[in-house]
Amino acid sequence: MFNTNILHPFIEVVRNYGDNNAFCIAEKFYTYNELARHISKIRKALKSSNHRGKNIGLVANDDIETYASIFSIWFEGFAYVPLHPQQPVERNLEIISQAEIDLVLCSGNNNLFSNVQTIFTSHLEFEELNLVSEPIPDDALAYILFTSGSTGKPKGVPIMRHNIGAFMKSFSEVGIKINHSDRCLQCFDLTFDVSIQSFLVPLTNGACTYTIPHDQIKYSYVYGLLEDHQLTFGAMAPSMIRYLRPYFEEINVPSLRYNILTAEASPLDLVTEWSKCIPNAEIYDFYGPTEATIYCTYYKINKKGNNKQFNGMLSIGKAMSGLTSIIIDEDGNIQGANQKGQLCISGDQLTPGYWKYPDKTAESFFEREWKGTIKRFYKTGDSCFIDNEGDIMYTGRLDYQVKIQGFRIELSEIEYHTRECLRGQNAVAVAFENKTGNTEIALFVEDEKTDSSALSVYLKSKMPSYMIPNKIYYNKKFPLNSNGKTDRNMLKKLIKL
Amino acid sequence: MEEKSIMPELEQVFRKVFNNESLIISRGMSSNDVDGWNSLNHMILVSEVEKAFSIKLKLKDLNKMHNVGDMIDIILSKL
Repeated sequence: MFNTNILHPFIEVVRNYGDNNAFCIAEKFYTYNELARHISKIRKALKSSNHRGKNIGLVANDDIETYASIFSIWFEGFAYVPLHPQQPVERNLEIISQAEIDLVLCSGNNNLFSNVQTIFTSHLEFEELNLVSEPIPDDALAYILFTSGSTGKPKGVPIMRHNIGAFMKSFSEVGIKINHSDRCLQCFDLTFDVSIQSFLVPLTNGACTYTIPHDQIKYSYVYGLLEDHQLTFGAMAPSMIRYLRPYFEEINVPSLRYNILTAEASPLDLVTEWSKCIPNAEIYDFYGPTEATIYCTYYKINKKGNNKQFNGMLSIGKAMSGLTSIIIDEDGNIQGANQKGQLCISGDQLTPGYWKYPDKTAESFFEREWKGTIKRFYKTGDSCFIDNEGDIMYTGRLDYQVKIQGFRIELSEIEYHTRECLRGQNAVAVAFENKTGNTEIALFVEDEKTDSSALSVYLKSKMPSYMIPNKIYYNKKFPLNSNGKTDRNMLKKLIKL
Repeated sequence: MEEKSIMPELEQVFRKVFNNESLIISRGMSSNDVDGWNSLNHMILVSEVEKAFSIKLKLKDLNKMHNVGDMIDIILSKL
């Protein structure tokens, strides 16, 4: 599955389109032949390294060696675990420890993790081309992504080779046809799984992938790429499009053939306005949790109108081929049409379970008979219903998870670190919509007003920037609701926009 | 208008947006040098600059703004 849908098509592309551009990174182009040479030199270094673990840490920089490393790791039958250089060292060290990483690939010059053997990939010399695919079993690991966890520690989602193979097969059946003349956007961090779709679909079809340097302001750089390089395909988060909204009148990208909206709920009014900026593009709303490998349902937008929505948010459509979606109530009973409940997903794209976290796996996955066969389902934590025509409507999150810039965040993780810093002082994190319509986090501390700078520094040392609260408030006593619990809604009203 | 005359006001805008009363801006300063200069704050920064100098910036202008110096040049060209 993995070799058939990923490595073999990639080898064919290098053979047939070796002189075509594979990447445009910071305005510099790299051909498929160059990419293949980088892959080969890193493979050689991996073969001669004396690491014992199967999981390789990858410093998630934005350069050709980093992307080549992913393929080198896959060709050698290992899994990559992205370590973002802009995230706190402590968080990366926690990931290294959990994933039992004993080798890191880094394209930079600085040794970020001095206790772990590191190969500096930009220092390696190319000797011999090697794009031979080994017979690696499909049930080997391909990557582990760590997401926010309520215990204060990140939790790992391992994805196997057959999971991505199944994803690529399902995605190819949607009808988005990419070829060697396409120019495709990759605007997601490598710690987020939509990045994998964003480079894998172009690279298995001979197209060129355009990335965003880490030091750039993302939304204006993306616009620059769309216009200057006349991109033809790209997945984006609605929040990024919202940043561009004040400038829609200036934007006209007729070259764009396909546009995917993903990572968070898509507001219908925003998409309708945006569609005028991309007059020739087919627009799709894709949905999927990391646990079900990138995307698992999609809805194709009808540009002439009459699109399905609930509370202004577009439908997430139907499950992709090979996947099954059901809605269950609190007792686990399967719900009928138009009945709200929790969305559950089954199919080849499902992770075998959380990395070394059996309790959480048992809580989030279950087996159920469906149309005569026993299937394994994942509980997404998303509240949805399925309408009479089988389209899924998203109605919100069931728990205290929120999405910021597409990253799924457990508010309890922020509260945990705050309590740790303030010796157990009560703290509540609340998500709210700012003036621009994007989600931000406010933190409430049950204490006398004091200087927040020490707390801010502490939180920044523990969590990535997208999890750091934008506002911190102090209340001597938290308001309580009728159940005697902290009234989060009352706290939310105290936020000054 | 000259660069000298807009600097104090621009510095006030930066201090307000990045919540840092002691921030000193310079032409070479970029998003790498200021804590919290991300997409969200960039958008807020742009809108505060527009308000402070009563100008309207285009998306093309934003793309040219790689540091504070670029920003000063663009503001001056609009005044």
